[in-house]
Formats: sequence, structure tokens, C-alpha cells
Amino acid sequence: MRPWLILPVLAALLAEPSLPAHAAGAVLVMNSRDASLSVIDLASSHEVRRIPVLREPHHWALTPDGRDLLVGDSAGNEMFVLDPATFEVRRTIPVSDPYQFGFSPDGKFLVVNALHRAQVDVYEPGTYRLLKRFPLSYMPSHFAFAPDGATVYVSLQGSGRLAAIDLRAMDVLWTTEVGLTPAGVLWLNGRVLVANMGSADVAVVNPADGRVERLVHAGKGAHQLFLSPDRKRVYVNIRLEVDSVIALDATTLAVVRRYKVPGGVDDTAFAPDGKLWLTLRITNKVAVLDPDSGQSEFIDVGRSPHGIFINPRAVLPVSVAAR
Amino acid sequence: MAPFDLAAGWLQQHAVLPLLYALGMMQWEDISFGWVLFSLYGAAQVAVSYAVCLPLEHWRPVERWPDTRAVGVDVLYTLIARIGLLPLVTFVLFYQAQVTLDGWLADQGWVPPMLERLVPFLLGRPVLTFCIYVVILDFSEYWRHRLSHIFGWWYSLHALHHAQRQMTFWSDDRNHVLDEVLSFLWFMAVALLIGIPPMQFPLLVLLVRLLESMSHANARINFGWLGERLLISPRFHRAHHATTAAGRRSVNYGSVLPWWDMLFGTADFSPEYAATGDPGAEEALATGSYGAQQWAGLRRLLRGLRPAPTKGQRPLEPSG
Repeated sequence: MRPWLILPVLAALLAEPSLPAHAAGAVLVMNSRDASLSVIDLASSHEVRRIPVLREPHHWALTPDGRDLLVGDSAGNEMFVLDPATFEVRRTIPVSDPYQFGFSPDGKFLVVNALHRAQVDVYEPGTYRLLKRFPLSYMPSHFAFAPDGATVYVSLQGSGRLAAIDLRAMDVLWTTEVGLTPAGVLWLNGRVLVANMGSADVAVVNPADGRVERLVHAGKGAHQLFLSPDRKRVYVNIRLEVDSVIALDATTLAVVRRYKVPGGVDDTAFAPDGKLWLTLRITNKVAVLDPDSGQSEFIDVGRSPHGIFINPRAVLPVSVAAR
Repeated sequence: MAPFDLAAGWLQQHAVLPLLYALGMMQWEDISFGWVLFSLYGAAQVAVSYAVCLPLEHWRPVERWPDTRAVGVDVLYTLIARIGLLPLVTFVLFYQAQVTLDGWLADQGWVPPMLERLVPFLLGRPVLTFCIYVVILDFSEYWRHRLSHIFGWWYSLHALHHAQRQMTFWSDDRNHVLDEVLSFLWFMAVALLIGIPPMQFPLLVLLVRLLESMSHANARINFGWLGERLLISPRFHRAHHATTAAGRRSVNYGSVLPWWDMLFGTADFSPEYAATGDPGAEEALATGSYGAQQWAGLRRLLRGLRPAPTKGQRPLEPSG
């Protein structure tokens, strides 16, 4: 072989092979105490890859055009921009304490709750320019948008209040006491539901004036609320009960079923087969709960898994998916 | 780490969360896990120090004492510092300080300092990054310690540490609380500058303290010519605590690595095992109760902060 041919041949041998794709879907888990993201193959339920981030990833949001998946690294003060199909990191954006965040339904605003900085920041999607900062005391944690995207409701975990922010006028409409340590927030049938982690209740709040109309008993340490894709059930994730996942009827808010999922349930994602994928903060696992049988299977991930994202159309290289 | 995570998780679920719930403090449920975890690390570290150092002290003691009551206070210092206070302060305060500083920098359009940003190769290599952090922090500790001997007012607090004549592996934490605060602020400032992850910071503190415990052991142990130049041994650190080295003109200021003493001309590799203590320190600092030692240290600081003595008065300054 001629000497000058050696380099291109070596380069070809060492280059990343173009692998055939495996499109069975994948799950991305944010390991908040490991500074990493776990990639789980949806078909085999095995972790196939770890993606390093800077410090402390908690939550995610899909951009309105669906092209980018944002993962917030709150202690790293950075937003990781990933390809939602392959989970490749495309770039990073400096953002102050991006703990929990989401795009308004009309796609006009990105709202970022900076839990440890006691502020809610509103950014312009695309440019990620800060439009307005709302200092809100304290620990803004979860949120829900009104369906028209005009208002965002933010739970202030440290002060027991819920704040309503008018995104068009860029003004705080009201803040109101809703209970001890409010966490998860959900818009449902013209009302705002708030899970009170310091009590056993879910507060039903009138979005117009912040009045608490009703308290629904759920269980000690009610933390997060998720509406099932068929909109028939509200799942409440509970911190301090053995029955740690409670299913409420989405119309009456009556308890219809209780599930035992040990390990500190936090966030939920719904798989196409109807199963619930739950992050377990304390046991460092993901639980896959079949809501019909009540049985769960568990998958090891990194430390303190928090946010979870499922993309049934994610494409993993076959060699990775088969690991 | 898995057994610690599991144990901390169990404690969190069965003890800490019910307590926080009962006290109406559930907003701290996430951060409290870190405190529980690092308290367990602290307890394990004390157990490791005990398991390693006690046999060494029995095997080859430098000194034998008929009455070891003075050591009992050092045990109290250690338990307070490592299992309770240190994990709480290092994790909770450092976490909040880092969030505040980095968030403010991000707001100004600056990228918060972080070693992995400077050297992207380190991203996803936490063990290597951790080792680099240890070296950087050890360098900063050398200068913090050296300055605490240079400034008279600072040494009036630090003298409490040097007053112990029965130096054992428990002696590392016998410090005046104000000296501890200064040390912590120094350590934290450097850690913030290089962007140590909040979850690694308490581990770094505990690792450094574990090695420091061993270097205080009452054991006739050196690591040989080469070993003495790679890691600080009980013999090397004992020279720092020698009665002749108390005060401004001390030697061997390093905590973990002797390199900084070698670099800045303060290393003493002589083979002697000297008697320890500060002849200039009042007796309460050496043998008093915890409260008496703290009070004596404060009095000494206040005296040291007074204007310079007039002619005929004995100046208060570090001995040695």
C-alpha cells in the first residue's frame, strides 16, 4: 500500500460507523444527583446510555415546533438542547437556575421557575431573551398554563401560595394561600388543581380570583399531578403514603384506585401502551406501572431520577439499543 | 455509593420526611436528603478513622499518657463537626451560595466558573475531576493554614488547635468555632471559584478531613523518603504541631499533599517525633471543657485585637 493511502484508510477504520437505526422509541431520565441523563430503550426497558451534563438536571420541555428538547441543568445554570429523536446534545444556553419550565400553549413564552433563586423568568422562545423577571417568594416549583396561554399558575413551595401571572400584560394577577408546601399544579376543566405536599390535600382553585373552592383528600405529601392521555384520570403522586400513586376520576375527583409504588415517586410519563413511567427519587429507579394490573417493573437508572420524557419515535442506533 | 444512598433513602422515607411533614417543613424534603446522605458519609468517615488510626496508635504510639481526659473533648469536637454540623453547613450553605452566585453571573451574561467548561474533556469524568479539585483545594488550604499562623489575631483562635498536648487522630476537629467559620468561608470561596458541584463539595471536605485525621494520629509512622513527599504522614504533620513550631514560624502547613511546603520552603522532613502543644497557650485551651476552650479562645482573640501594648506590657503574640 502506498504510504499516503494509510491515513485515509486509518481514518475510515476509526470513524464512527454509520449504524442502522432502531426506531422502537426511547425514554430520557434526568438523574438530578448524578449530573447525567439515562437513555432507556423503550422496547427492552434497559438503560442503554448515559449522557453527561454539568450539575443537576431536573426537568424538560419540548419546543413548540417539536425540533428541540430542552433539559434544564439548574445548578449548572444551563439549558441543554437535545435532538428529541436521538438525544444528541446540540448546544447549550446559559439560563439562570432552570429548575422547572415550559412553553405556553400558544408558543409565545418560555416560563422558567428558578426554585432556589425565588424568581419566575419569562423568555422569548427561539432567542431565549429574558422578557421579564418576577421575584416571587419563595421556591417557585411547579406550574400550569391556562389553555389559551394567557396565564401561568405557579406554586410557591416555600410560602404556601399559588401565583397567577398574566403573560400578556406581564403582571402578577394575584397570589393566594392554597395550603402547606404546594407543589404540582394542573389545569383541569376550568379549574387549577394544586397538590399540597405539606398536607394530604389537592386544592381546587378558581383561576379567576384564586379562591380555594374545595379540598380533595389524596394522601400525606401529595406532590405531583398528571392527567392521563385519555383525560379520564388524574394521577396524584404521593410522598408519604404506602399507596404512593392515587388515581382520581378527572370529572368528580373521587379516588378510583390506589397503587403501591415504593421508592419516592416524583414525575410521570405516559407510554403509548398505556403504562405509567415513574421516577423514584429515593431508590434511584424508574417504575413502569401497568394501571390495569397494578403491577410495576423497575429499571435501574442514575441517582435521584426526576424528570422523564418518552419519545415513542426516538431512533437509537441498533448497536446501542441492543446493549 | 449505593449502600449510602439506600441507607439515606430509608432514613429519609421513615424518619426525616415524617418529621418534616409534622413540622410543616416539607419544602426542605429534597435538600434534606443531601444532609442525611452526608451525615452518613460523616459517620462512616469517623468509623474509618477509628478503625484505621486506633490500631496504629496502639501499635506504635509516639507517647503514652496515664490520663487521657483531654482527648475526650476532641472526640466531642469530631462528632459535632463531622456528623452534624459539617454536613449541614457544607451542603445546605454551599448549595445556596453556589446557586446565588452562579445564577447572578448567568444573569449578567457571564458563564459561571466551572472546571469542566475550561477543560471539556473532564465532562462525564467525575473521578478525574474530583482528584483535580482535591489538588486545587489542598493548595488553597496550605495558604489558609499558613495565613492563620501569620496573622496574630487569627492565630489567637487557631491556638486552640495547637494547644493539645495529647495529639491523636481525634484532634483534627478541635478548632475554635470562629476559626471553623473562617476556614469554611475560605474553602467555600475557592470551591465556588472553580465550580465544584454541590454534591461533591461535602465529599471533598470529608475526604480531606479523613486524611487530616490520620495525619494527627499519635503513631510513630512515616511513609519513607518517597512516600513522605507524596502524602502527608503522621510524622510530617507532627512537626507542625511541635512545641517549637507553634505560632508564626511553623513548618509543614499542608493538609493532604506535602508539595506546597516543598514548593514554598516550609517543609521539614526531619525524622524526629517531637512533643506537641503550644507553650504560650493558656491551660484552658489545652485541658478545659468544650465551653471553656471556646471561651478562652474568644478572650484570646479579643485581647489580640486590642491596640498595641504600651511600654512595659507583655505583647500578646503567637509563641514559637
